[in-house]
Amino acid sequence: MSAPELVTVTIDERSVQVPKGTGIVETAAAAGIEIPVFCYEPRLGAAVGACRMCLVEVEGMPPKPQAGCTLFAQDGMVVKTARTSEMARVAQNATLEFILVNHPLDCPVCDKGGECPLQDLTFRYGPGNTRMTFDKRTFEKPIPISPAISIDRERCILCYRCTRFSESVSEDNQLVAVNRGAQTMIATFEDEPYTGAFTGNVTELCPVGALLPTQPRFEIRPWEFQAVPSVCGLCPVGCNIDVDQREGKIKRILSRNHPEVDEGWLCDKGRFGFSHLYAEDRITDPLRRVRSRGLEEISWEDALDDAERLLREANGRIAVALSGSETTEDAYALAKLVRKGLGAHTAMLPEEIGGGLDAFRAPLSAIRDAELIVVLGEDPVVERAPIVDLWLRKARRAGAEIVEIGPAGDVQIAPGTTARACRKLKSGELGDRLRASERAILIWSGGGAGGGSHLAALATDLGFADKPGCGAFFLPETANGRGVAEAWAAASDDEGPEPEPLGLLIVSGDEAAANPNVRALAEQAERVLAITMFHSLAVGWADLVLPGTSYLEREGTYVNVEGRIQRLRRTAIPPAPDELAWIAQLASRFEVELSPSPSLVFAELSERVFGGVTYEDLGEEARLPDRVPLEAAPAESADEPVPAKAPGGTLQLLRYRPLFSGAAVERVPELQFQRPAPEIELSVKDAKRLGVRRGEPVSVRSNGTSVQLRAAINKRLKAGVARIADDHARDLHPTVEVSK
Amino acid sequence: MADVIVLANADERDLRQLAEYRAVGGYTQLERVRSLEPAAIIDELNTANLRGRGGAFFPSGRKMQFIPPKEQIPKPHYVCVNADESEPGTFKDREIMNRVPHRLIEGSLIAAHAIDSQHVFIYIRGEYLDAFETLRTALDDARGAGLFNGVTVVLHRGAGAYICGEESGLLESLEGKRGQARSRPPFPAASGLYASPTLINNVETIATIPKILELGGAEYAKIGAPPDSTGTRLFCLSGNVVKGGNYELPMGITIREVIYDLGGGIPDGRALKAVIPGGSSMPILTADQIDVPLEHDALRALDTFLGAAAVIVVDDRACMVQLGLRVAQFYMHESCGKCTPCREGTRWMVQLLEAIEAGDATHSQLDLLLDVCDRILGKCLCPLGDAAAMPVASYVVKFRDEFRAHVDQGGCPFGGESSLEGLFAPVDQHTHHPVAEVPA
Ligand SMILES: Cc1cc2nc3c(=O)[nH]c(=O)nc-3n(C[C@H](O)[C@H](O)[C@H](O)COP(=O)(O)O)c2cc1C
Ligand code: SF4
Ligand code: SF4
Ligand code: SF4
Ligand code: FES
Repeated sequence: MSAPELVTVTIDERSVQVPKGTGIVETAAAAGIEIPVFCYEPRLGAAVGACRMCLVEVEGMPPKPQAGCTLFAQDGMVVKTARTSEMARVAQNATLEFILVNHPLDCPVCDKGGECPLQDLTFRYGPGNTRMTFDKRTFEKPIPISPAISIDRERCILCYRCTRFSESVSEDNQLVAVNRGAQTMIATFEDEPYTGAFTGNVTELCPVGALLPTQPRFEIRPWEFQAVPSVCGLCPVGCNIDVDQREGKIKRILSRNHPEVDEGWLCDKGRFGFSHLYAEDRITDPLRRVRSRGLEEISWEDALDDAERLLREANGRIAVALSGSETTEDAYALAKLVRKGLGAHTAMLPEEIGGGLDAFRAPLSAIRDAELIVVLGEDPVVERAPIVDLWLRKARRAGAEIVEIGPAGDVQIAPGTTARACRKLKSGELGDRLRASERAILIWSGGGAGGGSHLAALATDLGFADKPGCGAFFLPETANGRGVAEAWAAASDDEGPEPEPLGLLIVSGDEAAANPNVRALAEQAERVLAITMFHSLAVGWADLVLPGTSYLEREGTYVNVEGRIQRLRRTAIPPAPDELAWIAQLASRFEVELSPSPSLVFAELSERVFGGVTYEDLGEEARLPDRVPLEAAPAESADEPVPAKAPGGTLQLLRYRPLFSGAAVERVPELQFQRPAPEIELSVKDAKRLGVRRGEPVSVRSNGTSVQLRAAINKRLKAGVARIADDHARDLHPTVEVSK
Repeated sequence: MADVIVLANADERDLRQLAEYRAVGGYTQLERVRSLEPAAIIDELNTANLRGRGGAFFPSGRKMQFIPPKEQIPKPHYVCVNADESEPGTFKDREIMNRVPHRLIEGSLIAAHAIDSQHVFIYIRGEYLDAFETLRTALDDARGAGLFNGVTVVLHRGAGAYICGEESGLLESLEGKRGQARSRPPFPAASGLYASPTLINNVETIATIPKILELGGAEYAKIGAPPDSTGTRLFCLSGNVVKGGNYELPMGITIREVIYDLGGGIPDGRALKAVIPGGSSMPILTADQIDVPLEHDALRALDTFLGAAAVIVVDDRACMVQLGLRVAQFYMHESCGKCTPCREGTRWMVQLLEAIEAGDATHSQLDLLLDVCDRILGKCLCPLGDAAAMPVASYVVKFRDEFRAHVDQGGCPFGGESSLEGLFAPVDQHTHHPVAEVPA
């Protein structure tokens, strides 16, 4: 690409050079001059020029103030802001006066106070007094627009950021303006709750205290907050966040824009999920199973003694079930302890990803720039890696072609055949176009283990390795599945036999503890040591429970979907020592050398698997490591067995793990309304055949289990397939019968 | 009469009938120009110096020239006919649609040819049920007669918003969105309906085109007050005048002639107090200014505009504060709510005018009212804010004594004797439900 043409613009007598077409607000900023804005927010699409805060004078344009946010740098342009133009000064002052005539000015009780652009700009550009002597417009306030967000319409300045977000970023079209003129107000259609994966972003976009999260109502005193930069650990995207805490307790989570990862958006799980830290059933002390009395609290000294005994007694017949939510360092520590100290090499990794993807590494933002995107797989992207869904929407708006191949795709395939479909892409028309494109992206979203290796094989074949604009993403199911797998592998090169019979099962983390396969294994194990955060996950089956900590309470690193290594910080004081501290202590009892300091563990690990980058190198805005060229053709995992076609009259069950599920979400009251409705999605054909209409109750049966669900018709779903969220599919078998 | 253009022959014949319209040469221009290069049509309009009749007086040929060629923007091109006519005091487009619907259709099809478009949308004010039905029948007849030649014409009813007459609000509404103005640039010519090149013209502008082509641009340009105000206008004469109604007249005729020679003067021998020359959004003229010719340049010299050529006659019973309030209430009601100065300012204007009328205001609040108008003027996203601020400010400036009297006397000097009869409908009468009767 040729370098963009530079133009010279004069702002308040200062001359500045910017690429042609740069926005005037940005141009002024480059000259060190502020053009104040409310409605302008480039991430929401083209400027709308609504609030009139940015009015400036431009030489050669009609003799009236111009909305700076709608202008672009042209060579020789001369712009005067309120600093040098009386016209602009009066205009900006007028805008603020007009905004304030009907503003309640309830700053003292407003949660936005102290970080409110309206307060700040009024101070800098506004009138010092009011000439308004009449009744202000009033609205009922505040009103919940959902259990998570409330709206104060009196404070709203109608910048339309929230509605534009809803219309052109999340594309859910739920937030709208109703009524007209001075009575205009923001609402949801028919006052239905604002639902969706991304609603919370409007609380950050709102430039006043109109849209506020309900979680910390009246607790926000921004100047008393301490913002700790960290990374969200609830999905493989790894959005960059600022965690606001006061007195060691988290009050809210805000985005911390990483332009390549999240562009400043968060999903609601990541934003509102933190309150699970304060759930009532949080485990704060070690627990020991006492036959007659269930679990009893014990001291940490006793707990470590118990743990040591369990480890020794198992005599190496140990397996570790990992969650994928451990930090890379915790997973490495645990691995080193059992592998080096006890010669136990058996792990149940959270998922099998498959190697080779690092050769096609690209930032998530490459999706936005792509012209052709193929999404393979069975799970809706938004349920696995929500922000990727936003990148895809952005790409589509920019004109990209997106082909979805899956049971509910543009190209419909049967569940369990994703690997085959992936291989098929090497030939055929679509494959040719992928091969020809310089900006093509492949995404694998669920649908069998080892997808990463299938994807890598395809990307190799398509020549993606030599095309920096092309990339391949495997969306893991867990936030740090990649890091955990690397850590496990890095701890030792030895291998060992499967323990038989299993002496001790170490269950690390809540996801593993909730996994039915892990539970089944636990039943065969002589002893179980569980590390979990919550009582209900541990009772009944563990012999020793050590309190777990959350991603918000630990130092360490996560490896995200791109292969980017990002740092987590301790943003809140955990109620128990973190894992690394006690694993290190335990390790010393087995003569395994292990530092309790995450940075030192990282250094050791990095030497082995991350090319020696240091903890400090990662920084606050981690950069994407370079591509690692493939030495040999990637070894493709074997295909999963294709499930047998459902016999006539029955449907093949397609389950998915919803975004709003899991141990954290279950403990956040504000997220309950977001959990999936008890629905079964049917194809148009099957619905017709069964004579069911949308919303009708149906009974879903398999082998003696039966669930009552509401029918939903999914026009994109393949006939013969029924999709149900895990929460509702529960014990159903892979083949189900549906009837009215 | 040679100078009847848009309504030509409509007095003698029922031009709603396709056969009658054809009998007076209807659709021959369409058939003739279809074999011409678009540029030839545009040249003719430029020679005629046809200017927009919707209010902004923009040269119509130039507007067509702004439409980029298909090679440059390979998207469908659209023609939108603005039939939303909602400015208080205007009712000319309604008469055109009711009486010469085929002339509008012919003009639309010619405009479509001129910009290489296959799609015409006619956005008609929702309350205009009569015009809607007349136009629909005429469209059916013309379509049936094979006159469309592959062009689709969609007749779309509005739902009762003045802002949907503003071109960008109209486009939003046509796209099925909330009627709000768009920021420009991009202008509709480059990115209008569905982000495609779009020509938007007023009904009268479009309905003038066939006759211009028939007469020839040069001939047309001799009518009226050349060089800028060529041709005729349908003047909507209303208010306190004996014979209100639409009068198609060459531009340049004086207000005095319109009121006294054609309109029969003021009823009951009352005195003229003021005249609004172009519709409710235009600055007012006092009784001593009525010798001004109704054409662009002369009115500009008096700081007002011809607008949509709605001449509203105000007699001496009118309280100017009440009139200002009525106007301000209309614009407050119709503000789309998108930009701050108009949304908040019009409400504040109404509050100030109410206080003045009630005798609760101070002298400084008269200045405040002017300042509020000034703080709206030129600072809004679309011209609706100006449309509220300009007239009200002109009332305060030109009838300052009357405003002062309200303050000094602690109430309206008319003491309940004033009358706004016939001067725009009060705002509650604008609160309409045009969708009550949806024809199938
Ligand atoms: C608030 C507002 C309302 C308007 N309403 C109308 C209308 O009802 N009809 C109309 O033709 N033009 C109306 N206009 C003018 C249009 O924006 C546009 O200029 C016009 O349709 C262009 O056509 P013309 O060039 O043929 O005049 C309005 C403008 C504004 C600012
Ligand atoms: S609620 Fe907030 S973001 Fe939405 S329009 Fe009002 S001020 Fe803007
Ligand atoms: S998208 Fe993922 S990383 Fe981002 S906030 Fe949501 S759960 Fe956290
Ligand atoms: S001037 Fe009024 S009508 Fe026009 S955009 Fe602003 S609020 Fe809407
Ligand atoms: S910031 Fe430019 S109009 Fe709002």
